[in-house]
Order: sequence, then structure tokens, then C-alpha cells
Amino acid sequence: MKRHLPALSWPRLDDAPIQVACPFCDALQEAPRLPEGDAAHCCRCGEMLYQNRPRSLARATAFSSAALIFMVLVHLFPSITVTAGSVRRELTILEAAAAMYREGNPLVAVGAVFFTVIAPLVLVGGLLYVAAPLRFGIALPGAKSVTRWFQLCEPWSMLEVFLLGILVALLKLGSVGEIHLGVGLWALAGLVFCTAAAMAGIDRLELWDRLEIALHKKP
Amino acid sequence: MEIRSAAAQGLASCHLCGKVSPVALGNCPRCHGALHLRKPRSLERTWCFLLASIALYFPANLMPIMTVGGIGGPESDTIMSGVISFWRKGDLLVAAIIFAASILIPILKMLALIWLCLAAAGKTHASPKNLARLYHLTELVGRWSMVDVFVVAILVALVQVGALSTVVPGPAILSFAAVVVLTMFAAMSFDPRLLWDRHTGADLSDTHE
Ligand SMILES: [Zn+2]
Ligand SMILES: [Zn+2]
Repeated sequence: MKRHLPALSWPRLDDAPIQVACPFCDALQEAPRLPEGDAAHCCRCGEMLYQNRPRSLARATAFSSAALIFMVLVHLFPSITVTAGSVRRELTILEAAAAMYREGNPLVAVGAVFFTVIAPLVLVGGLLYVAAPLRFGIALPGAKSVTRWFQLCEPWSMLEVFLLGILVALLKLGSVGEIHLGVGLWALAGLVFCTAAAMAGIDRLELWDRLEIALHKKP
Repeated sequence: MEIRSAAAQGLASCHLCGKVSPVALGNCPRCHGALHLRKPRSLERTWCFLLASIALYFPANLMPIMTVGGIGGPESDTIMSGVISFWRKGDLLVAAIIFAASILIPILKMLALIWLCLAAAGKTHASPKNLARLYHLTELVGRWSMVDVFVVAILVALVQVGALSTVVPGPAILSFAAVVVLTMFAAMSFDPRLLWDRHTGADLSDTHE
């Protein structure tokens, strides 16, 4: 049942032609199989429907594991250290949220933790949990719900915005003290890059098609 | 060949996994997500989130976003006064970034969503392709408005007690974060397919299925 034409699209559960509806104009059309690197566009509005990314699972796995490693570094090492006389302050994401909490803004602190810690973790960890076993045609328990959850978290992951925030804050700090950029900052830049690369590495339709096959094999 | 919409044939594409199935099934056979022809009550919900974010936009910009305590006594900064002080210091790039992210983007995003809602309700006319572009843009830039919230959190964490001056977050920070989250919810509840429905003469804006 699972037949894979070399370099022509990912395997699908059913070899019969399937239909897709454009998410922007709802035009119903047949979904063509694509060679690697190609994208399918809507016949009415021109919106991109899906892409066939080359070596998609390998890329998603590699970049999401790299992102997880960067994530550990981001939390272990401070991004900025400010020294003024005997006072020394270190900045990590959690420290920024804790400071908001202490200063009487618990809601903003919880929001900041969600946008910069929880959502990115669910996004990257979820993708790794689903994509890595799929390389061997296996779906781990709960793979469907994990995929749903990390898709829902995607718009709320705001690490790149936090990175811009650090850059703006650096300029605003000005002459407050001696400023050192730490490992945490470079790790954060790496994390932002790897998260973007991991998410762009595999198309949503491909992920679900492969997941469907893996789940179908089980009794 | 005539192009037909999926909804006209009772088919719905799953918003999570993209599979096309008859809407009568209720749930997607592949991922079990709920099936809808269009996002339920899309326009009503978008208007609700929009109005709430417009209401909060005023306290977010009028109240101080942070208070910097120094030798010269505490000094409150609104978003706009922060931009102006950067501009005066000659940091034109930072002033432009903060002005764009905190003031311009939220306003433009609200105006864009209002226009999209009016177009989807048939009150204004524009080509659906341009409207789709506008929708993409609002989805893409909205999150960057959060940058000022993070800047304040970072400054509060770094500049505190001791030899350094202190930075205390102001009351505007919560309303500002809420504006960003609410406009994101508004963009998510808007269904761009309603624009094409209007264009092709179908009205599915209050489809509840
Ligand atoms: Zn289309
Ligand atoms: Zn589905």
C-alpha cells in the first residue's frame, strides 16, 4: 500500500488522487504530487498550498534537536551581564520574567514565560518527538495530539521578538555600567535560527500524511 | 474547467491537518479536529477582539510604560516619550524600531482588520487578492509589537537596586501586552475565505456548522 516514487512527493496512504481546498479561497482542486523543492499553488488565488521540502524529516529532526540544545544553553548562561561597582546583574529569560513578577506584574510575567519558554519548548520538542521517529515510519504514542499542540503554539512562540528586545535594551542601557554579552545571547540567536529552520523544513500536509501512514500500520 | 469551492459541495478542509472531508462527519477522520465550513462566527468574534484591543490601546499609550528612578528623582516614560528621547539622543534606528513596533504596527493592524471585516461583510469593495495580501501582512507583523514589553522586562531585571538607578514597570505594560494578544486573536478568528465568498457571491459569514 505504501509506495514511494523516488524523488516524487512523500508517500500517501492512498494512491488515488486526493483533493485539497485552498485555505484562502476554498477552491477545491486536485493535489498534484511534486518533485522535491517544488511548491503547489492555488489555481484560483495563487496562494501557496503546500511544498515538498527536500530531506524534510532529516532537516526537521536535525534543526529541532539543535534548537533544544541551544534552549538549554539559553537558560543556563546569561545573555547580558551588567557590572557597576560591586553590583552585578545577569539576564536570562526566566530572570526577566521573575523581575516582572516581583515588581507587581504577575500577568505579564506569566505571559512572558509562555511566549518565550513554554510555547518554543512545545514547538521544538513536539516537532522532534513526531519527526524523529517518523524517519523510521514509527509514530510514538500521542503523536497526533502532540502535533496538534505544537501547531497551536506556533504563532505564540516569540523568541525572535525577545532577541530584538535584548538589542533595543542594550542600546537603552547606555552608560549604566560595564556591559558584557554572554553565551546566552549567541545561544538565543542560534535557537531563533534553528527553530525557524526546523519549522520551514517540513510541510504541514506532509507531516500529517506521513503520520497517517505510520498510524495506519499499527493494528 | 469551472472552479468550485469546497463548501459548495459540503466539503470542509481541516484547519489543523488540511484533509478535505464531508462537513457532515463533524470531526476530521485523520486528526479528530472539529470540521467547519468556515471559522464559526468569524466576523462577530473578530469584531469583539478588535473593539477590546482598540479600547486598551488608549491606556497602553497614555499611561507610563516604565518609571526610571535616578538621582534627579523618578521619571515616567510613556511609549511615545521613550521614542522621542531616543530620537533626541540621535539613535534614529532604535527610535524608528520602537515607533514602528509599538505605535504604528498596532494601529495599522487594527485598521487593516477593520477593513477586512467590512470587506467580508460586503460593505467595501477591493480585489480579494489585495485583501489576502493585507491579511498575510497583519499576521506576519503583529507579534513584533510585543518587543516593548520584553524591553521593559529586560530593563527591570538588569537595572535595579544598588549603585544603578532603578526601573519599575508602569501600568501601561499590561494593557500593551493585552493589545498585542487581542489583535493576534482577532487576526486568528478572521476567516479569509469569507472574502472570496463575497467575491463569488456566496455568503457563509454566519455559517455555524
Ligand atoms: Zn486559493
Ligand atoms: Zn484534520
